[in-house]
Amino acid sequence: MQALLKFFSSLRLTVVLLALSLVLIFFGTLDQVEFGIWETQKRYFESFLVVWSYPLQAPAGTSLQWLKIPLPGGYLLGGFLLVNLLAAHATRFKLTWKKSGLFCIHLGLILLLISELLTDIVSEESQIAIDEGGKNNYSETVLENELVFIDRSQNDFDTVHTISTNLLKKGKRIAIPDSSLSVRALRYYPNSKIARAPEDSRGAPLNRTIANKGIVERMDLQVVEQAMDYSQEAINTATAYIEVFDANDTSIGIWLVSNVIDDRFPKQTIETDSESLEVALRFKRYYHPFTVELIDFTHEKYPGTDIPFNFSSEVFVNDLDQNIKQKALIYMNHPLRYGGLTFYQASFANEDKTSILQVVRNPGWLLPYISVLLMGLGMSFQFGMHFIKFSRKAKH
Amino acid sequence: MKAFIYILVALVTLSTLFRQFSAERIDSEFDKQGFSELPVQVGGRIKPLDSVARNTLLILSGKQTVIAPDGSKLSAIEWFIDLCMRPEIADTYRVFKIEFPDELGLEGLAEKSKRYFSFNDLQPYFSELQTVYQNIETEPQKRSAYERQIAEIYDGLILYNNTLQSLHPTGNSERLDRLIDEYQSFETLIVTGLKAIREQQAGQEYDTEALNSFIGYADSYLKLSQTARLRIIPPDQNNQAEFLSDWKNIGLELLDAIKGNPLSPSVKQYAQLTMAYRSDDPETFNQGITTLKASFKQHYPKAYSRAQFERWFNGFKPFALSIQLYIFAFILLLISWLKWSIPLNRSAFWIIFITFLIHTFGLLARMYIQGRPPVTNLYSSAVFVGWGAVFLGIVIERFYKNGIGGAMASLIGFATLIIAHHLAMTGDTLEMMRAVLDSNFWLATHVVIITLGYSAMFLAGALAIAFIFMGIFSKKFSKEDARSLANMVYGITCFAALFSLVGTILGGIWADQSWGRFWGWDPKENGALMIVIMGAIVLHARWGGICKDRGIMNLAICGNIITAWSWFGTNLLGVGLHSYGFTDSGFFSMLLFIISQLWVIGMSFLPWSYWRSAYGRNQLSKSR
Repeated sequence: MQALLKFFSSLRLTVVLLALSLVLIFFGTLDQVEFGIWETQKRYFESFLVVWSYPLQAPAGTSLQWLKIPLPGGYLLGGFLLVNLLAAHATRFKLTWKKSGLFCIHLGLILLLISELLTDIVSEESQIAIDEGGKNNYSETVLENELVFIDRSQNDFDTVHTISTNLLKKGKRIAIPDSSLSVRALRYYPNSKIARAPEDSRGAPLNRTIANKGIVERMDLQVVEQAMDYSQEAINTATAYIEVFDANDTSIGIWLVSNVIDDRFPKQTIETDSESLEVALRFKRYYHPFTVELIDFTHEKYPGTDIPFNFSSEVFVNDLDQNIKQKALIYMNHPLRYGGLTFYQASFANEDKTSILQVVRNPGWLLPYISVLLMGLGMSFQFGMHFIKFSRKAKH
Repeated sequence: MKAFIYILVALVTLSTLFRQFSAERIDSEFDKQGFSELPVQVGGRIKPLDSVARNTLLILSGKQTVIAPDGSKLSAIEWFIDLCMRPEIADTYRVFKIEFPDELGLEGLAEKSKRYFSFNDLQPYFSELQTVYQNIETEPQKRSAYERQIAEIYDGLILYNNTLQSLHPTGNSERLDRLIDEYQSFETLIVTGLKAIREQQAGQEYDTEALNSFIGYADSYLKLSQTARLRIIPPDQNNQAEFLSDWKNIGLELLDAIKGNPLSPSVKQYAQLTMAYRSDDPETFNQGITTLKASFKQHYPKAYSRAQFERWFNGFKPFALSIQLYIFAFILLLISWLKWSIPLNRSAFWIIFITFLIHTFGLLARMYIQGRPPVTNLYSSAVFVGWGAVFLGIVIERFYKNGIGGAMASLIGFATLIIAHHLAMTGDTLEMMRAVLDSNFWLATHVVIITLGYSAMFLAGALAIAFIFMGIFSKKFSKEDARSLANMVYGITCFAALFSLVGTILGGIWADQSWGRFWGWDPKENGALMIVIMGAIVLHARWGGICKDRGIMNLAICGNIITAWSWFGTNLLGVGLHSYGFTDSGFFSMLLFIISQLWVIGMSFLPWSYWRSAYGRNQLSKSR
């Protein structure tokens, strides 16, 4: 036990862990070229173990492809660092004036590690697109998809049931809430290409889909699976074949759903004697208890160039519950914080007529600020003391 | 002897200063210097023609001077004047630099000259170039070396052509000699020409000749408005804010005359300059310059005085001067370890101090011109990294007075300014900031602090290299010297760790403010974090006694590699997305740097018996 504690509290372990973090971050930067930021973040920093392999595109890629390096992931290293730090404080450190700076730094570090973990787990990012003069009450993220069933039978509201695509992948039967139906994914493609099915010499379509209801009744479509595209701006075409069963477990048909079969196409519905449900696979949405109305979007450039000088969105926030109407100007480095969410100017479209705001929910956003304060103070104190001591010595 | 050394050093320093100040005298009856001060708007900011000329020439040929076919050396502004006013002559100047002409597949081109080509040399290949250009990869980042070279030449030709048309329409020499007549006949034609158009549209009889020549002018000016690169016509004086208002290029101004706006007097004044220059009439030329300058001074006093200052700054070249003085100081300190140590050491310190002042002045001048904190792009970060390192070096030198801090500081100052010099090849180093980065507060805090962190890491690394070299080669290097040098490395590393950490965290806060995430694991952020971790490793290894002096020195040298990666490597990744930018010259310099650092680390593992210093012998006896 004593030996174990000694191991976990040793400075040697600290140095080894820091060195491994250095290596992890290095490879986690390199791999962004191939897998983009989001995927790399998941693989390297939100994981326990990761294997780096020599990239094919790099020089001598084909002959060095066998080269693979296993590395401890971010959670593992972060966890060990945390244990190391706590153990060291439990055994070696005594809180004295001289060491109070170190305590501050370490406390700040602990807080930072925790806040990073918290952010990984609970933060949500999405985007809200609003046309000038228009409003919107939901934001969506193109990185995730959801299967939705919408009941539009009520006059003043719709009921939306969502099923995460994570569940679709397993091919299990899932009951649709508030209805007698259930659904099962026959196939799920995280990325695919949907096109009209090619015709053979007699004009009959080849490679038809396995679906038999909905959009395929009007168009001959085929689905070709594609590798996931991880590049920065890429949007993957998630597609699924879903089979729907009635209360007696009899199949009532197979539908083709995809995030490219969106509002531009006629709605697909599941009709039984007693109910009618709209079905779609779409980007994951977050509904908010307020609407954001875009009054004006401005995009200024430096004279005679395309270099942007400023983007800004003038918005009204209408809270549906509390009857609050609030006006705000969102521009670079000046987000709007409202209802636990933060709205940032992210992008624009539609010849400067549509503003796209990044919507972030991160309940732990304040923690880094506190930890920064602690670490900055601690370091200034610690090194300031060193420096004073040193300059006194140097004078003598 | 002492006095002799001081005098000698002072003389060399003064002559360097003097040479720099007298380097760029233009001997001409024409007031070319006055011309170079005239402000124009380009790239979103107002700058003197001098800067335009220099940057354009830098992009085309990588130099700021041109050798004319007759062997005389022309300054950038003289070239620019010829380009605009006597294009038939400028077309024979070899200003297009092509690194590997024989690899272009353009038959016969390579024989014409070595690496510099004139517009006339390239002319026979235009159609061929155009065809090749249309077939190359459209995304610049994915281009091969060959495609990049083709694109460079093609873009260079476009730039040349668009710059050439900045002051007035071009054409044969006859047109240039009669510019004023052309404008006058155009002005009178506006009324009759428009009348003719209306009559033609109404189906009435009209003046065919007036219509045709009017349309001829309008057509030519429309083309001009699309190609003329510089915006030389300022807006009306009573126009709102100076900063964001659009200046007009010559074509637009002429076209607007059709709408009934009177032509700005500058239009004819520039034409007058050209005609005077072509007819070798310095008096009229100089008078025209005086009028133009006076009008700018009256209506745009601020923009004009900045432009004037910028022109002076361009000629002063504080960073080029600093490069020479830093290396001079470094050499003096090297000699000081062999002989005359006290006088050389002292004079080197003062040279470094004076150079530091010049360097600081350069930074401040750029801040004044741009109205921004010192670091706004890669170029200015290089200038600032050197500045920070020299500042720290001077501080250490005050405490230790052994010349090592000064030597390493001047070496870093020299190296970073050389890097900056190479980075300047891409054109204007005072470019405008993109909206996201447009925050003087964060530029002044986060960017400055993190760049000081780079300075400190490099200084610590350089001191560590000095430790290894002196330990192995210098007999005089004693145990005490080793201890004080190790303390220096430790102190500077503490400083580096503090600044990198605070800077990185401030960056996180900025990111939280602009994108809503404190940390996004993006390459540049990761690079900064790696520096912080490297600093932490050095400090913890020392506190824990895990590494002895030699180990700490090697870690500090690793710090050099990590810092270089964070500073440049991550940018290379961005440039070569997918292609990894391996063909970039930047990549090879980076690789070379890393290898050199690893080589020093390798050397440090020589057994103690090979270390010639007293420190090494002491270690040897300890290990036995």
